[in-house]
Amino acid sequence: MDEGEDVPKDFIKLKSEKLSVNEVSELVISPCCGAVSLFIGTTRNNFEGKKVIHLEYEAYMSMAETEIKKICRDVRQKWPSVKHIAVHHRLGVVPVTEASVIIAISSPHRAESLEAVMYCINTLKASVPIWKKEIYEGEYSWKENKECFWTNSEK
Amino acid sequence: MCGSVVFFFSRPRSPDRRLFPAQVSVLYFARSAELAGLRCETLSVPRQITSLQLWEEIVKIHPRLAVIRDQVVFAVQQEYVLLGDQLLVLQPGDEVAIIPPISGG
Repeated sequence: MDEGEDVPKDFIKLKSEKLSVNEVSELVISPCCGAVSLFIGTTRNNFEGKKVIHLEYEAYMSMAETEIKKICRDVRQKWPSVKHIAVHHRLGVVPVTEASVIIAISSPHRAESLEAVMYCINTLKASVPIWKKEIYEGEYSWKENKECFWTNSEK
Repeated sequence: MCGSVVFFFSRPRSPDRRLFPAQVSVLYFARSAELAGLRCETLSVPRQITSLQLWEEIVKIHPRLAVIRDQVVFAVQQEYVLLGDQLLVLQPGDEVAIIPPISGG
């Protein structure tokens, strides 16, 4: 492998196929990094006593990619030692226990990638135009992240 | 007003295009797509309009959207804009998206 090609990269993907933890973590592995930190968001089977059958996701694709790129830029500004960042988000139907989002970040030492992963998922929930619908038995509900600054959650 | 006018051009000047409405793409997502019954359309809107006025124009066409007025923002050329007094300057072909509360991740 040509070490000169190990420049910091952002790997962003929105896709309807099943996500792979192996694939996402391998994207960020780097010879200069001693840490790869990972977040996996999975579909829970319940919400307020109701059984969740599955989730359905949709996205404003072009803007979602742009917003995720902004998050990556912010991560690199806050944690300059971060090497590679991978954010994969699933669209369409996501069955219970399957992953809807995987974030992997590599850095020379663990503190930066651990903090950066938390920042990444928190900011994604606040700013990326992706929506999920929770499908129950006989009904469904569009979810609203509490991080969303224009949500009307008090009403 | 001048008593005489001299034309330097071989033909009259074209009307100021800024006075004409702009054709913009409007995109609907999540609950707003369900209420409007579609995902995208082209609308003719004034080039200068506040975000609230733009919302009201859209609700005239899709009255069922009125119920989510307090929960949505716009994304104009992929920048979030709250519904309010903010003056938008729209160009033909600009993209305006209705953005209900997000729930990614």
